[in-house]
This record gives sequence, C-alpha cells and structure tokens, in this order.
Amino acid sequence: MVELVSSGLNLPLPLAVLLLGGLLSLGVGKLAEWMNIRRLREAWIVLVSAAGLFSVWMLYQRVQAVSVIVMALWEQNPPLAGCFEIDMLSVFMAGSISFIGLLVAVYSISYMENEDRLTEFYTLITFMMAGMTGIVMAGDLFTLFIFWELMSLSSYVLVAFLKRTWGPIEAGFKYLLMSATAGAFLLLSMSVLYGMTGTLNFAVLSVNLRGVEITPWLIAVFCTLIVGFGVKSAIVPLHTWLPDAHPEAPSPISALLSGIVIETGLYAMTRVFFLVFEPGVFKLPIAFLSVLTMTLANVTALLQSDIKRLLAYSSIAQIGYMLVGLASGTAYGVMGLFLHVFNHSMMKGMAFLASGSIVHETGTRDLGRLRGIGKMMPITSISLFIALLGLGGVPGTNGFISKYHLFSAAFGSGLGWLGIIGVLNSALSMAYYIRVMQVLMGSPEEGFKAHEAPIPMVTVTLMMAVIIVFLGVWPAPILNFATQASKALVDGLLTYIGAVLG
Amino acid sequence: MIPLIPFLVSVVLMFVIGLAGLIVKRDMVRLLMGVEILFNAANLFFISLSTQSAGYIDPFAHSIVMMAIVLDGTVIAVGLAMVMNVYKHYGTIDIRKLRRLKW
Repeated sequence: MVELVSSGLNLPLPLAVLLLGGLLSLGVGKLAEWMNIRRLREAWIVLVSAAGLFSVWMLYQRVQAVSVIVMALWEQNPPLAGCFEIDMLSVFMAGSISFIGLLVAVYSISYMENEDRLTEFYTLITFMMAGMTGIVMAGDLFTLFIFWELMSLSSYVLVAFLKRTWGPIEAGFKYLLMSATAGAFLLLSMSVLYGMTGTLNFAVLSVNLRGVEITPWLIAVFCTLIVGFGVKSAIVPLHTWLPDAHPEAPSPISALLSGIVIETGLYAMTRVFFLVFEPGVFKLPIAFLSVLTMTLANVTALLQSDIKRLLAYSSIAQIGYMLVGLASGTAYGVMGLFLHVFNHSMMKGMAFLASGSIVHETGTRDLGRLRGIGKMMPITSISLFIALLGLGGVPGTNGFISKYHLFSAAFGSGLGWLGIIGVLNSALSMAYYIRVMQVLMGSPEEGFKAHEAPIPMVTVTLMMAVIIVFLGVWPAPILNFATQASKALVDGLLTYIGAVLG
Repeated sequence: MIPLIPFLVSVVLMFVIGLAGLIVKRDMVRLLMGVEILFNAANLFFISLSTQSAGYIDPFAHSIVMMAIVLDGTVIAVGLAMVMNVYKHYGTIDIRKLRRLKW
C-alpha cells in the first residue's frame, strides 16, 4: 500500500510545522522586544516543538496504514523531480528528533536566561530540527543534501554562539572547515552517482546500482560517501572536530548535537548504503571502522579531565557501537542500531543536560574541582548517575537493551570477533564513567558551594532519567517501534522502490 | 556530444588543488577558498556529465548546480563571519595559532 500526494505545495507535516515555526519565531522575537513580554520567545519554541512532536504522531498513524507515503510538489512526480518519501524509519527518526528537541527547548528556558541574542538562538534550534526532519524524510539525494546543509549551517552558528570567549569560535571554525569539506565530498559522490544513473532519486539509484558488479567508480562513490557522511557522524579518522565542538557549545546544543545530529549523519549513511550497495560490499570496511572508532574513543576518553569533553569522546565510542549494527547488515542489526540511536539520544542528551546544570551552577567543567557536587545538587547528580550507568550498559537501563541487541546481531551475522571487541570496549568504557561517579559522590572540599539547578532544568533531567529506567525495565514499546522501522529499511526495500516506480 | 575526458581531468585537478590548499595553507581565508574550489569541482562534474546523454542536455544537473552554488555560498559566508571573530580574539588569521583546544 502506497500513498502518493502530489498536488499543490505539500510538505510533510512535521517539516512544515518546524520550518514555519522557525520563520515566525523571528517575528515573535521582535514582538517580544517591542511589547517587552517576558518568556514569549520561550513559550513559542516550546509550542512549536510540541506541535512538531504531535504532527509526527499523526504521521505515524498514516504511515502505519499505508506503509510508504511519497510527497511531491505541484504535480512534479518523482523520479524526475525531488520528492519526500516517508516510511516507518523516517517516522522513527523524526520522532526521536522532535522528542529530544522538545526536552531541550524546555531546558533552554532557564539555561539561556542570562544570554542576549535569544531570538537568533531559538530560530536556529528550530531550523536545525527542521533540517534533520527533512533529512530523514528525503526521497532523493539532492533533497537530502539541501536539508543536510540547513542542519549544518544552523549547527555551525550554534556551536560558536557564545562568541565572547575564544573557545567556541575556535571549535566552531574547526567544525565548519571539516564539515564543509565533507559537504563537498558528498556533492562529488552525488555527481558520480548522477553520471552513472542520470538521476538522484533513491528508488532509481537502487534499481540501477544494487547488486551490479563493483567498478572503480562505485568504489569511488563508496569512499566519498564514507568521508561525506562520516565527518558529520564522527567516525574515527574524521572525528577530530567533535571533542572540540561539543564541549564548547552551550549545553542544550551539546545535547542536541551529541544526541541526534551525529546520529542523523549515521541515518543518512545507513539509508544510502542499504539502497545502493549489497550488505556484503560494506560489511568489512564498516566493521573495521567500527573497531577503530570505539577503541580509540574509549582509550582517549580515559585521559580526559573535562566532564563535557569526556562525554564527547563517549559519544564517538557510542557511534562505534552503532556501526556494529550497520556492519551486521541484517534487519536485526539495523533494529539494534536505531534502538541505540533513540536510547543514546536519551542517555547522552541527559548526561549533557545534567552536566550543563552543574556547569551552570558552579562555572567549571574540571572534574578535579567538582568533587562532592552530589551533596549540593542531589537530583541532578542522581539523574547523571543513571545516565552514566545507561551509557556503560548496566542491566536495568535502556543502554543495556540496545547494546545486547547490537552485539548479538554481530554474533548472528558471522562477525563474532566484532561482538567480542564491542563487549570488551563496553567494559572498558565503564572505567571512565566510574571516575565521574566517584567525583559525584566524593566528599567536597572546604568552601565549595553550589545550589540545585532551577526547576525546569531539574524537571527535564529527572524525566529523562525516569524514561531511561522505564525503557530498561519494560523495553517492549520502543522495541516494537524500532523493529517496524528496521523492517521498513531492510525487508521493505522493494516497497520503498515500488512506491516511486510503481 | 562533448568529450568527457578534458572535463574529467580538470575536475580531478581542481579537487587536488582544493585539498592541497586545505592542507598547506595557513591563512584562514585561503582555507575557505580551498573549500570553495572543492565545491566547484563537484559542480563542474555535474555540468560536464549533463552533456553526456545523446541528443540533449539534461536540465536536472543545472538546477542542482544552481542550488549547490547558493548552499556553498552561505557556508562560506558563515565561515568568513567566524574568521572576523577569530581575528577579534586572536589578533591573527593564521590557522596554526588556533591550537589552544587540545586532546
């Protein structure tokens, strides 16, 4: 069952809500300045992201009925023109994006209270979410590229947002340079794909290229795609911007970047690889990159003394675990991947938000000087504690569930060594999480004072902690959803192609 | 049909020049120019491939290149704005002085 919508100006609903909300947020910000209304901008952004989440839920019900929706503008039917193609996987990713977006929007109300240029800040967050939503719904590579650049541009500016100190500027420029180069590589791989097939539509690409003999051009496409998507998703030889950019950004932005932006890069990679190549082609290179990513990131994270930098390295390691699911090449492995994307967005998003509360109250990120913070900020510390347990994969948290599925997928697809390395790495990663826990629980030095964070921040972190434990004890709902999403990608490939080609 | 080989050679040359510029240069504005050259190599490849189908020139590639030019222009604009901020903080636009963030 396929639904084709192609009359008039028809955007997918969540995307339309976020784009329009972002545009109007400029006007709302001006209005708040003129009329001097406090909290108007904050109320607007929370409203827009809540509307985004609600429209994703409406989309979920439609997709459950028809399985694939194709959307085109003004009767310009695909494959000739650009289009949106929405299946269960798109809905899953859009749901994760708008859920963490809503939480971050609520958190920013208190965190960014004393900053100026707030209109720009909220507008850019909305556009970043719109860009990610567009990426996960794109039906051809060029639509994907446009939204890719929308997401990237907003995130460059957001990383360098607090421009009164040198740190964010330096990190932002590094991020911009590496990401823009990756964008050029992506455009190059698109041009080669265009030369081979005459179009960029996912369905036509898949029909023409999947399963053909491997030519040098196809290898060139593979390498440029890995560079193009890999810089954004921080695969190890290309990760060097991440440990600078994520700690230097404002904490809500770190949570969004680590929680969902790098995973959107991974989503694009998974989607394009499954459409263009057979799993046998990319299995071993991805497995190799996965080992490199998790090992190097875990070892480097041991050496960090800055709490946000440590969490940033831990994000790279988690990307390594997710690549295990891609390397397995089965529907089960992809289910583990996307389950871990959602769980990681909860755990790492919350870890960044909780450490953001600590930074907000104490003004330092140095682990050595934060000793005993657990006594002064008990609720924040308990939530951070739960998030760290989840990231380490302790049973009873949702991190354990998704890691279990990832590594058993590796064993099931004949990559047993990869599963073993993954489990060992997961155990090693516990070493630096325990270091942070020690700092949280230690006894404070003389004269070290801090208060509990403001109520919206505490509420958000506590809520995410409850979600982590809840999904660790009763994972059935999210497991079902992730299974549907992975089936849409791997088993439903022919439906996805048939939706465009008929 | 226009022969592809001269275009292919110039695309590869532009790509190598852009990457070399990114690796060797220390001036941040020149680094951004290197990124621009990389983008333009890809754009040129699109245009040259659009002439390869017999009998007509594919307008699809042209529309893509139009959009891509706008997109990379905005990226470079943000980059130049950051270069100005770097100059404010560091007093130089030499990329090798930007190494206070380590590990």
